[in-house]
Amino acid sequence: MKQLPLQGVRVADLTMMWAGPYATRVLAEMGAEVIKIESPRSWDNIRTLIPQPDKTDPWNSSYYFNDYNRDKKSLTLDLSMARGRELFLQLVKRCDVVIENYRADVLEKLGLTYDVLKSAREDIILVSMVGFGHSGTERGHVGFGPIIEQMSGLTSLSGYGDDGVPFKTGISYGDPIAGLAAASAVALALIKRRKTGKGTYVDLPQRETMSTMVGEKFVAASMRGEEPVHFGARSPHWAPQGVYRCKGEEQWLAISCRTDQEWRSLTSLIARPDLADLTLEQRRARQDELDIVIGAWAAEQDAFGAMMQLQSMKVPAGRVLDSDNIHRDPQLATRGYWVELPHPRMTPWKQPSASWRLQEANPQIRNHAPLFGEHNDEILRDLLGLTAADRAQLADQGVIGTEPVNPGIG
Amino acid sequence: MTDSTSEGVLSGVRVLEIGGGIAAAFASHFLAGYGADVVRTEGPTAALTHDEAVYLCAGKRRVDVPDPELRRLALGADILIEDGKPGALAARGLDPVALRKENPALVIVSITPFGQTGPYADFEATNLTSFAMGGLMSLTGSPHREPLLTGGNQAQALGGMNAFGAAVTAYYGALMQGEGDWVDISLQECAAGMLELYGPGSAYTGAGPQMRMGNSVRSVWAIYPCLDGYAGVCALERQVHSLFDLLGDPVLNEERFRDPYQRAEQDDELTAMLYAWFAQRTKAEILALSPIHKVPFGAVLTPNDLLASENLANRRFFDSVQTPEGEARVPGRPFEGFVWTMDSLHEAGADTDTVRSEWLAGAPA
Repeated sequence: MKQLPLQGVRVADLTMMWAGPYATRVLAEMGAEVIKIESPRSWDNIRTLIPQPDKTDPWNSSYYFNDYNRDKKSLTLDLSMARGRELFLQLVKRCDVVIENYRADVLEKLGLTYDVLKSAREDIILVSMVGFGHSGTERGHVGFGPIIEQMSGLTSLSGYGDDGVPFKTGISYGDPIAGLAAASAVALALIKRRKTGKGTYVDLPQRETMSTMVGEKFVAASMRGEEPVHFGARSPHWAPQGVYRCKGEEQWLAISCRTDQEWRSLTSLIARPDLADLTLEQRRARQDELDIVIGAWAAEQDAFGAMMQLQSMKVPAGRVLDSDNIHRDPQLATRGYWVELPHPRMTPWKQPSASWRLQEANPQIRNHAPLFGEHNDEILRDLLGLTAADRAQLADQGVIGTEPVNPGIG
Repeated sequence: MTDSTSEGVLSGVRVLEIGGGIAAAFASHFLAGYGADVVRTEGPTAALTHDEAVYLCAGKRRVDVPDPELRRLALGADILIEDGKPGALAARGLDPVALRKENPALVIVSITPFGQTGPYADFEATNLTSFAMGGLMSLTGSPHREPLLTGGNQAQALGGMNAFGAAVTAYYGALMQGEGDWVDISLQECAAGMLELYGPGSAYTGAGPQMRMGNSVRSVWAIYPCLDGYAGVCALERQVHSLFDLLGDPVLNEERFRDPYQRAEQDDELTAMLYAWFAQRTKAEILALSPIHKVPFGAVLTPNDLLASENLANRRFFDSVQTPEGEARVPGRPFEGFVWTMDSLHEAGADTDTVRSEWLAGAPA
């Protein structure tokens, strides 16, 4: 059986929230052993972000936390205590990668800079995912995904076009983008280590990573001074293109007509042969009117049925799938994309599988996200050689724990 | 590139990009920056606009060769990246399964709107329909209007970002195990697994779909108009109290604002206060407060703003790309830690002869 590419790679994962944990979720999917390290006094706030007042250990039963942290092991370790820091550095000797997304000053305050980690293991790979980098006048800025998106240029480029208002993407988009880049950086660092024997310190400034997603707009700005243009759902290249309301509540269909042929097919479906011969220039000039025509037709259609009809005529059309019905989409279902895993506190639900589908190595999601400190014994015993008495003492001293101290809302 | 200190981590790695639209071109753009020898073949029609080509094709060698020769180039590559329709490569004599048999170390990354299999595999798609089918669009835009497409070409760039990571990860696997892989990247799947708490929330609670929320998820996680544009705040519970101190209204000391459960009931009142606060300040004034008070503030900046940023210039973030029409300044490395270089933009087909002599010299015909 073919191995996953990161089989045998061990990651000490200090990340929290979304960007970092998304990176290490991907690393776990690719076969790495990921040890998620939280402090009893400073845990990943995603565990407790969604209030669950009726639960006795809500930090163990968050579907949201589970989404980013499946297939990882949980070790609690208070890095601000001397013993915790010492154990962490012992663990680093047995890891290939350390990854963190703290604020820019935190690793230094903990006395865990790259140089310190290197003294524990010469070829260690450190990935730091701070918002604005470790150098420069903006390094002290703090930010979550939407802040990153605003500061990257992307938000300025999104909008309906008739009101001048910029719009954010509907998720904390900066986070998964930074996470994907960080997972990629780990692979590059492993390639470098394989070739040179040397480790790497990766500084991943999330805002700059995000700007790479709209690089072509910097061409427009730097070569021609262009300011952002808001297109709504329309295209700068072809017409008509839009999103149209269908029958039912909040059902929408996105349609693009890239060519004269696709436009002619659409006009035949909506029974408007009088419009079939409009040229691209005419369609562009009359797009407001055409949107009304297409919209009137779409309003009487079932979104799924209309998509299938248009696709049968080779016209690009796609339903606006929402956070609910996407779990019943026939394409994703056929590909086995949603997987249900057992969880000790929750009834199974549909979870996404790996989007990097290596068809031969075939990554599969395996385990629920770890309970808080679930693997303390296993890791401290097997990797660090601590006895049961040592571990009991650590628990007494509060260096490790299986419950957060003073949990509130994230 | 003879000095070992300036050699990229992927120096010596041969990448073939076939017919790249945005997704494939994006993935191999990063490979080129980190030192790989990327050879791009154009698609049947110009798949990229001028601006996209300047950003995504700089630093690549561009060839125009017949399919049998393309096959030989593929067999000489370490990584093949393509975003044609399922079956299109095989129809040209470059069946990925056959290529993998002949060159077991080869990594092939195929990017398509819906993946290589399934009932939608042959669907026609654009960036818009892919953004819709991945779930992101339903969450984007005003709740009072239609769903909105985020700017640029995000569904395709997202596929490119995923393909880049999958390519280097599978290549590392090939270095370690001698075996590459064929990676099947679906734009829909790339998005469907990153729907924040809304995707897993709907799946777990059965409470139905999350409605889009425009620029305001809640009062303290929102974008507001300010004196000279738009600015935003994203405060978690641990940052809310510093934000309240900045707002400076004594009413915020009341329990109904301090307590997170009760605060949710006061969100309209808090939103009104934040509108007033932002309206009196400039982007620069708001941003200056972020590092001092540890409150996550942002400002809606344009590419022109970023190009004028002294800090980004000092951080050497931008690449300078020479084109026939002059210089373009574009985002450079997505992260620091490896040598990154960006060459000029070549004309389509300009490198056919040199690539032939370098890649095919001694290779079986």
